[in-house]
Amino acid sequence: MPESAASKLIRNGQLEDNPWRLYQPDPAAGCALPPDTPGWMIELSSWKELLHAQPGRKCPVGIVMPSDGDCSDLMLDAEALHARKDVAFIAIQFLQYGDGRGYSLAWMLRQEYGWSGELRAVGDVLIDTVHYLARCGFTSFVMKPGHDPALALESLRAFSGHYQPGYANSVA
Amino acid sequence: MYHYDELDQGLIEQRVAQFRGQTRRFLDGRLSEDDFRTLRLQNGLYIQRHSPMLRVAIPYGMLASYQLRKLAEISRRWDKGYGHFTTRQNIQFNWPKLEDVPDILAELATVQMHAIQTSGNCIRNTTTDHLAGVAADEVINPLIWCEIIRQWSVLHPEFAFLPRKFKIAVSGAATDRAAVGVHDIGLQAMEQEGEVGFRVWVGGGLGRTPLVGHSIKPFVRWQDLLTYLQAVLRIYNLHGRRDNKYKARIKILVKDLTPAVFAQEVETLWQRIKDGPDTITQAQLQRIAHLFTWPEYEALEDEHAGVPATSNRAFARWLRSNVHKHKQPGYAAVSVSLKATGPAPGDITAEQMECVAELADRYSFGELRVSHEQNLVLADVRQRDLFALWQALDGSGLATPNIGLLTNIVSCPGGDYCSLANAASIPVARAIQQQFDDLDYLHDIGPLDLNISGCMNACSHHHIGHIGILGVDKNGQEWYQVTLGGRQNGANQGRVGRVGAGGALLGRVIGPAFARAQIPEVVQKLVTTYLQLRDSENEHFIDVVERLGIESFKQAVYAKHAEPDDQKAKEMAHA
Repeated sequence: MPESAASKLIRNGQLEDNPWRLYQPDPAAGCALPPDTPGWMIELSSWKELLHAQPGRKCPVGIVMPSDGDCSDLMLDAEALHARKDVAFIAIQFLQYGDGRGYSLAWMLRQEYGWSGELRAVGDVLIDTVHYLARCGFTSFVMKPGHDPALALESLRAFSGHYQPGYANSVA
Repeated sequence: MYHYDELDQGLIEQRVAQFRGQTRRFLDGRLSEDDFRTLRLQNGLYIQRHSPMLRVAIPYGMLASYQLRKLAEISRRWDKGYGHFTTRQNIQFNWPKLEDVPDILAELATVQMHAIQTSGNCIRNTTTDHLAGVAADEVINPLIWCEIIRQWSVLHPEFAFLPRKFKIAVSGAATDRAAVGVHDIGLQAMEQEGEVGFRVWVGGGLGRTPLVGHSIKPFVRWQDLLTYLQAVLRIYNLHGRRDNKYKARIKILVKDLTPAVFAQEVETLWQRIKDGPDTITQAQLQRIAHLFTWPEYEALEDEHAGVPATSNRAFARWLRSNVHKHKQPGYAAVSVSLKATGPAPGDITAEQMECVAELADRYSFGELRVSHEQNLVLADVRQRDLFALWQALDGSGLATPNIGLLTNIVSCPGGDYCSLANAASIPVARAIQQQFDDLDYLHDIGPLDLNISGCMNACSHHHIGHIGILGVDKNGQEWYQVTLGGRQNGANQGRVGRVGAGGALLGRVIGPAFARAQIPEVVQKLVTTYLQLRDSENEHFIDVVERLGIESFKQAVYAKHAEPDDQKAKEMAHA
């Protein structure tokens, strides 16, 4: 994820400006957590810090999980996570769009762990994969460079039906 | 035969539109080569030695005559007037242009066909017994189950990007003609206490690390089939290796974890999703079953093919090798051999496609199948029509009487076409066919599977050929390694009651590789040795290899001063 985040994001079936960028912790300077200002995404290492710090944080963060992560990495059950006001969404980072683990992880976050909030795909996200992603439970998408978010929005509706009843399109 | 409903038709048309957009973006430079690669592969499009290669899906090998005519039309319009049937019961076109592929796919969609997931790291075309639904030894007709698996696997959102390709085969008969033992998942349909279900094998496969699958679940009720598959696929998707493509197949995961641990992980996960939304209901089963049409057989009695067989040796020979028992009295299943000497095994011209389509209309309810041995099958022929059918096939070069025999060679396109291959395979197949062109001799040798792969990816399944031939590259030269004793089914350890699924065995390498020119002679020596060692005509080649091991064969092939008297052996065989 480059620091200058893509300018648009697809969220709930619409294009929005994307204010979100990834916080780079600076342990040398003793900064594990971003300031309490809007628009920060943090990786799991920072999330562990946040669990025990900044109890009065006002600006929610997005938690970024790698595609080979596990629901238990969140260290809270879904109910406790939903109850916290400082989590805006969970994001799964795709280093390569062909890394199918992120799809199973999304399914498990939805169906087994029970996350009902926003689930975002970031990283190597293509116009051509958002349809599958939406059916695994993703509700927002930041496209990789060169992949037009407007075209991606259309491609969410590339298929009007599907076979697998357990995978409804969560956006279209 | 299954017929599409609106959902099926809508999906493949929308897939064509999606791929048209992807191709346009690629050609305009808006989609990178890397990004396009996986997308085109999942639509069956490879970039090959001479041009792109398009692989069209033939779900579980079932084809209607109007579909075959469309394939003929496509081969004329966009290819060079022929196609190649593969060991996954699909057809490949070797000469289309990339920019034409969306139009080809649109044409295919008009006859309920597509190229979805015929390559790439996803669930591929499900295969089955080419005699499914008609075999005399069938326990459960697997066709409806194959369709259920087809629908479940097509455009599956969670399993579109697996660590590696994934192949499922289903058998429903006492003899496993689907090779379930060498698939990522092999399913044997069976009945237990009056209920239909499946025995599940996992982790078989050929390629660089050939392994026979393990039975991880003795019985899954039909209602649970898809949730169980979902559990196996999810474990594989999450834990299969992605760091090394040669270790990425599920067989490596099963081996690394051990089959028992893998089975336990699947079981634990399955218990959580069992009875979930992908459970098959009676209503869904009915809906899909109702979209099938079945041949309306006449009430006939079995008859002897009669006078022509006794007076016509060529017809008698064809009856013996190319005609198979049918469950319905008065009917037979007929193999249309695509293994004449000359053309590449599995190749068929547009004219031949049209001929077979016509014969299917006239003699077999307008349907046919593709076998994983790269032949076609007219599955529902009245026995009284056999002579006329034979004459028509013979007139088009499609009646070579060699099904199940040595010259029914399974071969990949090899180095002449495929960019992965280390060596040619088609010319080797042709040279062997020429060596064994005496049909009486061929029939005397009896059942013998011979498979040739041009590289260790083993598209022709050389490990399970009774004789397997593998092209290898040594310092830039083509060499051929020979294996002996492989089989796709029938080995005793796979037997469960009368069901023989999973009974695959891998052949053993007999010794140092040979030059291409030596291969026909090597095969001849193996055959001569067999004829000398068999206790009767009823003891087939593979039986002798199993009884005596490979040592005698090895000696015959590698002995410096041995003088195997081939002529004498031929005389013995004729005697």
